[in-house]
Amino acid sequence: MHTPIFWQFPFFSSTLFVIGALLCTGTFTATAAFAHSPICNCYNDDENGDKVICEGGFSDGGSAKGVGVKVLNDRDRVLIKGAMNADSTFTFTKPDDDFHILYDAGPSHQVIIYMDDIE
Amino acid sequence: MIRNLHRLLVRSSAIALSLAGFSTTALAHFQVLYTPEMAPSRANTTRFTMVFTHPVHGGPHMSMEQPEQFYVVSQRGSDSEPKRTDLMKHVKPIDWLSNTKANADETQTPIKAFHASLPRAVTRSLGDHIFVLHPAPYYESSEDKYIQQFTRTMVNVGGVPGNWAEPMNLPAEIQPLNKPYANWTGGVFRGRVLADGKPVPNAEMEIEFINHALDQEGRRFAAKGEVELPQDAYGTQTIYADAQGEFTIGLPRAGWWGICALAIGANTEHEGKALSQDAVLWVQVKDMK
Repeated sequence: MHTPIFWQFPFFSSTLFVIGALLCTGTFTATAAFAHSPICNCYNDDENGDKVICEGGFSDGGSAKGVGVKVLNDRDRVLIKGAMNADSTFTFTKPDDDFHILYDAGPSHQVIIYMDDIE
Repeated sequence: MIRNLHRLLVRSSAIALSLAGFSTTALAHFQVLYTPEMAPSRANTTRFTMVFTHPVHGGPHMSMEQPEQFYVVSQRGSDSEPKRTDLMKHVKPIDWLSNTKANADETQTPIKAFHASLPRAVTRSLGDHIFVLHPAPYYESSEDKYIQQFTRTMVNVGGVPGNWAEPMNLPAEIQPLNKPYANWTGGVFRGRVLADGKPVPNAEMEIEFINHALDQEGRRFAAKGEVELPQDAYGTQTIYADAQGEFTIGLPRAGWWGICALAIGANTEHEGKALSQDAVLWVQVKDMK
């Protein structure tokens, strides 16, 4: 079972979490370009129970338009692939399989949201 | 005759002394628009309490009339469109209790306040949610004038900023130059006083701390204040904005701080009486732990 992590800080994958966290720590303090952090939140669509809505953004208010989103199963197989739209949202139909969502804003700018944390 | 006069003088002095802590000149009216957490990590139901009071003293309170407007303007990210949602259907009257009683048997006459319990959908989206209250003008008999305080409380969900710094062109408004929902103890808060979107030079302002914890369930403030005031002038901090309408205040303690700009709105009369249209902005401060 993965440790639930929400829209906190970027990292590469669950297996590289520690390395990612260390890289982020150094980057935040050293590089102005990385002064923002990616943020993502996913919730069930109130109007359609089969759908999940993900909202993306950055801590500096920047748009998430075009940021890649993947829905993967527990074996990291990509089930759905897409990108945030102009409204910085991405909507998908829930897969039958267990899944997690990768919000991928580039190296050190990734957020994973697990299925159990979708409200 | 002389004895009766003496009794009258003693009684009058006692009343004057008992009221000294609540003299009308020393107390600042503040429209409270309170919710416990201005910066939640994720969406939740949001409960607002609206009470017109003197927060540093925990009272006395003033009965409110039905608010004219209560709405939220939400925005996720700096380049998205703000979305306005009317919330008046959620506004319900409540009885607000005094936090002190002369004796245990005293029957209270509660004053009228309001609350709004908002469903999670209202703050479901990441970003800024600016809650705006237009209360009805309140008649302050001791000053023979009406007071109307346009009040804003900003809630941010998840850390994505939005429209917190954008003017809303209200009749009276404090434009924040710091995020009102993310302040450390010991920091400063900057802002600009606006009326109809234009800076108000040299505006008179009052700042108060919610010194008596607000109990939403119990519908009262705590009886004991967190801070003992060394003298009444410490209760309401009075400052003036500069020629550009800008101001800076210190934030020496964690909790809720209210900032009020006095009599800056264009409307100066209501029902044949003077009207003071004020702006109130609430700021939440947290300790670095």
